[in-house]
Amino acid sequence: MSVLRAQHIIKTFQEGRETVNVLRGIDLTLERGEIVVLEGPSGSGKTTLLSILGCILTPTGGELEVDGRKIDPRRPELLPDVRKRSIGFVFQQYNLFPALTALENVEFALNIKGCRGPEAQQEAERVLRAVGLAERLRFLPRDMSGGQKQRVALARALSGHPPILLADEPTANLDSEVGGQILRIFHDLAKKEDRSLLIVTHDPRVRAFADRVLHISDGLLAN
Amino acid sequence: MVDLARKNLLHDKLRFLITVSGVAFAVALVFVQVGLFLGLMRNATITIERLGADLWVTSRNTPNVDFAHAFSESRVERVRSIPGVARADNLIVAFMNVNLPSGAEEGTLVYAMEDFGAWNFPWHVLEGDTEDLRRGNYVFIDESAAKRFGPFAVGDYREYLGTRLKIIGRTTEARSFTTTPLSFMDYQLAQRLLRSNTGSQTMYILVKLAPGADVEGVRAEMKQRLPYNDVYTSDEWATRSRNYWIVSTGLGFNLGLTVFLGCLVGVVVVALTLYTSTMEHLKEFGTVKAIGGSNRDIYGILARQALISSVVGFVLGAIPSLALRPLVSRLGGLELQITPLLMVWTFVGTVVLCLAAAMLSFRKVAAIDPALVFRG
Repeated sequence: MSVLRAQHIIKTFQEGRETVNVLRGIDLTLERGEIVVLEGPSGSGKTTLLSILGCILTPTGGELEVDGRKIDPRRPELLPDVRKRSIGFVFQQYNLFPALTALENVEFALNIKGCRGPEAQQEAERVLRAVGLAERLRFLPRDMSGGQKQRVALARALSGHPPILLADEPTANLDSEVGGQILRIFHDLAKKEDRSLLIVTHDPRVRAFADRVLHISDGLLAN
Repeated sequence: MVDLARKNLLHDKLRFLITVSGVAFAVALVFVQVGLFLGLMRNATITIERLGADLWVTSRNTPNVDFAHAFSESRVERVRSIPGVARADNLIVAFMNVNLPSGAEEGTLVYAMEDFGAWNFPWHVLEGDTEDLRRGNYVFIDESAAKRFGPFAVGDYREYLGTRLKIIGRTTEARSFTTTPLSFMDYQLAQRLLRSNTGSQTMYILVKLAPGADVEGVRAEMKQRLPYNDVYTSDEWATRSRNYWIVSTGLGFNLGLTVFLGCLVGVVVVALTLYTSTMEHLKEFGTVKAIGGSNRDIYGILARQALISSVVGFVLGAIPSLALRPLVSRLGGLELQITPLLMVWTFVGTVVLCLAAAMLSFRKVAAIDPALVFRG
């Protein structure tokens, strides 16, 4: 059963008088529990596609369905709600809140998703334990290693049980050993909790964890 | 709920200190300026309020209670004959020079009546009995005079317009707008001292109305019988006295300008520190949006930061201002009137202005593209 379905996605940007076609008709489906890797050179449209699939950007054309909901590009005000309910993000730069501890970073994300109080704290603790950070709950990001930060980011993405996880270069800032650990956690959690995972990466090690590898070039997909 | 606003503020302690210092500076400035203003205004009319007359008869166009002009004291008889008047007494308010034991000469504002007790005036007597004032060349002096006259005690003598008067009592809280010390003496003694100026003249007639008397009716009758005098209610007279000082001295404009500049400095400091903080946290706000937060969620964070800054800044500004009160009174002879109402209004103003300052950042946040979270 697909949790994400994109049909003939087109995205154009206006640069001065010039129209730039970044995505030129992308068809992509993500099944429940599936891990898909998206590769491509710089400027190929990877991040733009990730932004559209993550309901951060709206497509210029095409159809997008996320977790059973059809996305209407004319109503961008509805996108935050889709992100809140259905999508978890993991960023290359971790994007943690520096003033919040690991536990608070995850708990804050749950608060945004409408989960508050002791329930949010318990859920935050649960996902942090699941990514192996039981000993680092009260640590600030500045006191954690890159791998630990990425695990907090992963825990944050997992919190609230979104069916789709989108990761942008999650191993780019990590050494090969820590990167491998992170990918194993990604893989195990995706399979165990039946989450669908789309990873945008340049890292060839990621392929080993993927069910499917897609290649994007000049705004078009190739398997 | 994780308090990102508070945590972000306290995470950068130096910036937070700068923000709340800006607010505290503005709050302290408002408290000191407005407090001094209120203190001066209270001094300007405290005798009017404490005398508790229903009506004041003054000479034409007298600008305020301290600057009285003389008129015939016999007019009090005309006032007493008006139906509805329960009591009417003459009052002299006049500046006199006092020769001090040091050889220096100082000024005092003298209040002189025949029967102080009937008007419960002066209202706060520390030593002595005002009944004794009519028995000879005696005077009561307010304790605030010690700053200008030097230390004095009951039993001492001071020379008023060349006449030695014995101090037989001390009062407190009796002040004037100009901080000239107040003295109290018998009406006829004051007339004798001022003879060359006033003869058998008075400066004011204080009127107490009979219970149930129609104030406007009595006033209309009074105006008819005293065509060369003005008649004010106590409130009107106090307002007129206050307005004189506010308008004629430029005090109101000066105060308004200082308060405005203080608020402006506070708002600019808060707006700039919040704005630069927002700019530095743009990516974090982008992350809030990416994980499903709306502009409203981020506005809430910014507003809460402004609120925390305003509350902490208010407290930091209020504490030294309140602590300064005894010092201002002791050193400057001025009263810093920080009333509960002033505190409430200043607090509300501080919160509103800090929230307004945060709105500068709202626009920036509204324009954040959540896609920036993907940029390295």
